[in-house]
Amino acid sequence: MTVTHLTINGETISQDINPRESLADFLRERRNLTGTHLGCEHGACGACTVSLDGMVVRSCVVLAVMCEGRKIETIEGTRKSEPMDVIRRHFHEKHALQCGFCTPGMLMMARDIIARYPEPSDSVIRSQLSGQICRCTGYAGIIAAIESAAREIRDAVE
Amino acid sequence: MNSHDGPGRWIGASLLRKEDRRHLLGASTFVADVRIPGMQDIAFARSQLAHARVVSIEKPQGFENKVYTLADLGEIRCLDAGPELATFRTVPYPPLAGDRVRFVGQTVAACIAPTRAEAEDIAQEVLLTGENLPVVIDAVEAIKPGGATLFDGWQDNAFIHATIADGDIASVANAPIQMRRQFKMNRQATAPLETRGVVAYWDERLDELVVYSSTQGPHLMRFGIAQTLGLPEHKVRVIAPDVGGGFGGKNRLMPEEIAVAAIAMKCGHPVRWIEDRREHLIASVHARDHYYDFTLYAENTGRVLGLKGELFVDAGAYSLWPSGPYMESSMAARNLPGPYRIEHLHVETHTVATNKTPLGPYRGVARPGACFAIERAMDELAHELGMDPVELRRINLVRATDMPYHTIGGLILDTGDYPGALEAVVDMVDLPAIRARQKQGESDGRRIGVGFAVYTEQSGHGTIEWTKRKSRVVPGYESATVRMLPDGTVHIMVGILNHGQGLETSLAQVAAHELGIDPSQISIRHGDTNATPFGFGTFASRSIVFSGGAVARASSILADKLRKIGAHLLQSPVESVTLRDGAVHAGAASIPISEIARAGNIRPEMLPTDVAPGLEITATYEPPDSGGVFSYGVHAAVVAADPDTGVVEILQYAVAEDCGTMINPMIVDGQIIGGIAQGIGTALYEESPYDPSGEPLATTFGDYMMPCAPEIPRIDIRHFVSPAHNTLHGVKGMGEGGAIAPPATIANALSDAFRDIGAKFAETPMTPRRVSEAVARARGDAV
Repeated sequence: MTVTHLTINGETISQDINPRESLADFLRERRNLTGTHLGCEHGACGACTVSLDGMVVRSCVVLAVMCEGRKIETIEGTRKSEPMDVIRRHFHEKHALQCGFCTPGMLMMARDIIARYPEPSDSVIRSQLSGQICRCTGYAGIIAAIESAAREIRDAVE
Repeated sequence: MNSHDGPGRWIGASLLRKEDRRHLLGASTFVADVRIPGMQDIAFARSQLAHARVVSIEKPQGFENKVYTLADLGEIRCLDAGPELATFRTVPYPPLAGDRVRFVGQTVAACIAPTRAEAEDIAQEVLLTGENLPVVIDAVEAIKPGGATLFDGWQDNAFIHATIADGDIASVANAPIQMRRQFKMNRQATAPLETRGVVAYWDERLDELVVYSSTQGPHLMRFGIAQTLGLPEHKVRVIAPDVGGGFGGKNRLMPEEIAVAAIAMKCGHPVRWIEDRREHLIASVHARDHYYDFTLYAENTGRVLGLKGELFVDAGAYSLWPSGPYMESSMAARNLPGPYRIEHLHVETHTVATNKTPLGPYRGVARPGACFAIERAMDELAHELGMDPVELRRINLVRATDMPYHTIGGLILDTGDYPGALEAVVDMVDLPAIRARQKQGESDGRRIGVGFAVYTEQSGHGTIEWTKRKSRVVPGYESATVRMLPDGTVHIMVGILNHGQGLETSLAQVAAHELGIDPSQISIRHGDTNATPFGFGTFASRSIVFSGGAVARASSILADKLRKIGAHLLQSPVESVTLRDGAVHAGAASIPISEIARAGNIRPEMLPTDVAPGLEITATYEPPDSGGVFSYGVHAAVVAADPDTGVVEILQYAVAEDCGTMINPMIVDGQIIGGIAQGIGTALYEESPYDPSGEPLATTFGDYMMPCAPEIPRIDIRHFVSPAHNTLHGVKGMGEGGAIAPPATIANALSDAFRDIGAKFAETPMTPRRVSEAVARARGDAV
């Protein structure tokens, strides 16, 4: 076990962590942050996407002990935050979710896409989403939601 | 986005979904999110042998009491699975391996530890020693006499041989056109993004076994688990919490569910098993795996007269409870004539056991294969006759004036305008413009092709249809309990299971329509056998017809009661009152439903003498004719294919479809697009192949290719609305239709792109390798 200090959703903690434990398992099983979902556990589906020092990562292929001194934000940390509330509303209005399992990871990635591409085209959104699997929606609603949320966020800034 | 035109107009409103909020907040509860104090994890040791006699299963030293083999589970009664037909061979499928293992991935032992990682450590040390037996991999070879068999005492490997025939196929033996073709729809996974999972424990207070499971049908699973473990059913509670997609793959009683439940009763603490993706890809239900070899008989005019041939369904190693694999074969054969006026049918079906993962249902069930085979054959016939495939379909399609039409496969197509839908997609993709573009050629060397495919989707089928299928369980009805609380808000308990279909919203719309209140006043509850009336679950595109019907009927009976109480309180005759906008009205006077609900629940002295207190109604529903109602549609795709690399891009995708009355058009469109995305996966990407030794080759999302956003094009949809005559509100089920036609549509488009050289596209998925090889073969190049 390794004592690790890290900040999760604004709260700094130190905890004994088994070096082989993934960040996703640590968040879900040790911190009870179950909004981070596991769809494949080998870095292919994107359901477990979280923010690590402002970068989106797949928490299933990051070891928790690697997060010493770093800041992690999960979907739970976005519950009362702009622009995620805007993105959430557009996901709702564009029918961008069905079973909801991929949704937390999709939202984390959507926010990141909008931050990097304030005016994302359809093809930019599609290629940026290429590591996020949704089995239900056929992606149409998700793409439409990201496009319209980006527009609203852009308009609010201007 | 709420497009209803005012209060009371909830049928047909694109109401935004009530279930979205918890998912958007990351606050939903899937099985893996359930926390029970003292819970430990289970990991399964699985067979690495495809076919072997079990010699020994060694538990790792020091962990003997943490490892369960079949003998440690106590008495287990393996349920007979498959149709109640004397000709169907039933075989026991034990929850952990008995004296034989029959596929790579079969459960051998269950290992318990405080964490999943530690449980996996133990599982890795479990040693299965087996005497290898010959491996059966090819379904066509597997029924030839003299070969190895999976089960002792079987003459060949067929679960069942059965003939689906009607008309007189001999009468067309001299037809001028006789075209024989073979088609293959390969094996695939169902791959919901949430894998399966089970949490089980004994609840001492209620004195019952509690099983959380990611299942599509908690009530049936309770029945199955209770029967298997020998428990009275009132001692078993099954809860399906949020379920992250199912698509059919979570609608069978599986060995892991039984093993985890059995261990929970023995080990003295709660246990949990969460399937990982590798387990899912090798040991959850697989789907499809059809091979067709048939001859079409036709006139020179293109009129198709008959179809004769064989169908092999590679069913894997066991039959899964309740329905087993024969439904796949019989439905495929019965749907093989498609929506065409074909009068003679003779199909020999073979449902074959092989050393692969057991076959189960997957969105579309049987029909994607049948649609692929008949729709590809129609295009091949058009090519043989020098006709346009659209024209050939015009000649053969069932027409609106033919309805109701009895197909030679025994299905009754009830309503719709099939040729109209065909003309609609021809218009949507602008066929003349594509033909002109094809003449010009592409500057990048790619080929452009356009393809069409027609499908039908049976739904709302009840007692008659399932009895005809000799089903062990006859899902002939659904039930709903509508309970109005003292403040006038409503709980509705249903036996179906919402797992992405938006039923918490659309069923609330159905009830709101009857009760004259806003859907926001209504909560739909499902998924807990202790809280909901008995139901069969969500599958076979049945929930809007059956559960929608039960909700409407119970709500309507409750609405009558509300009117009666309201009329009494308004001192008006009941004939003169109306229920709308949250109140009972008599002329200018009205009384809000909250007042009526108060009287009905907690102020019985205010009720008329002939009205019993309480505002709770349970009703069941089955459509009056339970043969089913048919949604249908025509898909069109325009593709660009690189002849050398074989890479296929979908440039355009159009759908004209008809699912009768739409309760929530936004949800309908979501189901269509999502279904098509899965159909595109079947068409181009997804495959679960095995090597000759029975080793599964697709075990991660690195080699099992799931379509992502760049692979799914924009889908254009046009709706036809032919309400069913036979269901409440004229609804038809439609959840599966999108997944049926894409493999046929895309294969036809590829075939069109290379029509000049006659490249053959007869097998899914049409990977770059298969496409480039088909082109090379047609060119006469070495492959």
